[in-house]
Amino acid sequence: MQLRLLATLCCLVLAFCYLATVRAAAPTGWTAGHQTRLFSNVAFQTAAGRGIGGSLLSFFSRLGDSTWSVGLHESRYAYDLIESVHVWTLCLFFGLAVMFDFRLLGWTMRSVPVSEVARRLLPWTVAGFVVMVISGTLLFTAIPLRSYQNIFFRTKMIMLLLAGLNVWIFHSGVYRRVATWDAASVPPRAARVAGALSLVLWVCIVLSGRMIAYNWFDCDHQPQRPIINFLTSCVPTQSEVR
Amino acid sequence: MSLLGFFQWCEQSGIGDTIRRSSWLFPLIEAIHLLGLGVIGGAVLVVDLRLLGLGLRRQPTAQLARDAQPWLIGSLLLMFVTGSLLFLSEAIKCYYHEAFWFKMTSLFLAILFTFTIQRKVILAGETRFNPVWSKVVALVSILLWTGVGIGGRWIGFS
Repeated sequence: MQLRLLATLCCLVLAFCYLATVRAAAPTGWTAGHQTRLFSNVAFQTAAGRGIGGSLLSFFSRLGDSTWSVGLHESRYAYDLIESVHVWTLCLFFGLAVMFDFRLLGWTMRSVPVSEVARRLLPWTVAGFVVMVISGTLLFTAIPLRSYQNIFFRTKMIMLLLAGLNVWIFHSGVYRRVATWDAASVPPRAARVAGALSLVLWVCIVLSGRMIAYNWFDCDHQPQRPIINFLTSCVPTQSEVR
Repeated sequence: MSLLGFFQWCEQSGIGDTIRRSSWLFPLIEAIHLLGLGVIGGAVLVVDLRLLGLGLRRQPTAQLARDAQPWLIGSLLLMFVTGSLLFLSEAIKCYYHEAFWFKMTSLFLAILFTFTIQRKVILAGETRFNPVWSKVVALVSILLWTGVGIGGRWIGFS
């Protein structure tokens, strides 16, 4: 079942890749959304050459010039379609992950054993996560440099790592002893903490993910507070500071 | 008052104006609207996957539906509040946007279907109806809610 689902998803991704080759006809009449996508072509003044940040920066800069990236952000439909899929998959991924968190907190399905919810629902969550990662990677590829220097994107990535860490701690810790508390309508404290952390992190990830689209703190929106430029590794030119 | 008149009144309301003037209110409300979308998705899918014979298939459907119901209604209310605020800030655009009407039609049908036909089939239990009906009901439910999601995303493209 899961294999067939994955195969269908792969077909969908291939279809989107094909759509990525359909280019926008002309730059006239573009909306603001289209224009922000072109920011990946703008060479920002940045903290280039400083350790890993510098090498990542030049890597994403080159990625932005690649055929894939240009194709994605110049295409007529691909970007909007991929973004829509990324949002719709919230229902599958975020929705079912949150239902599992609610179960861990004892807020729903209290008569269903936790291990059964995990076994029967988490595969769907994983399938949703795969779609999220593929579509998200494509969205990033379309505008790599701007995304990399976007404060909300950076926040989102850090919280994704924390959410992953939380999953790992939960599954290698209290979930190993699930047999002892499987049927408990309200699971033990450690499981409730894991559920609450997961809930908070995913909510913040969705919120910051939505905000990536806004350029309030972008490098070309100077002057910014020094802390913002530090967090986004932007180095404004002298004329921009004044 | 005509329908267009009502939409104009919404657009000119103080709340709509406040949201339009702010650079961060609309994004924030929309982000919360998205959280509601996720929770609705979860609450709907838990029940629909069960009706399809997937997901928590060892549990009685009626019990699952009862467990998911508060979250479905809660997130619907959240969606309604945040959605109304978003609507107030761009009512005229919505009036002329076919996606808005598509979404409202789908939403009306989805809510109607969920709380009448689907509810009846779930409460009747597995014995009274042919199991094929459960699957049909689940597919129709997913289709209608998907319509709402497609319409919602489509309002943003203009």
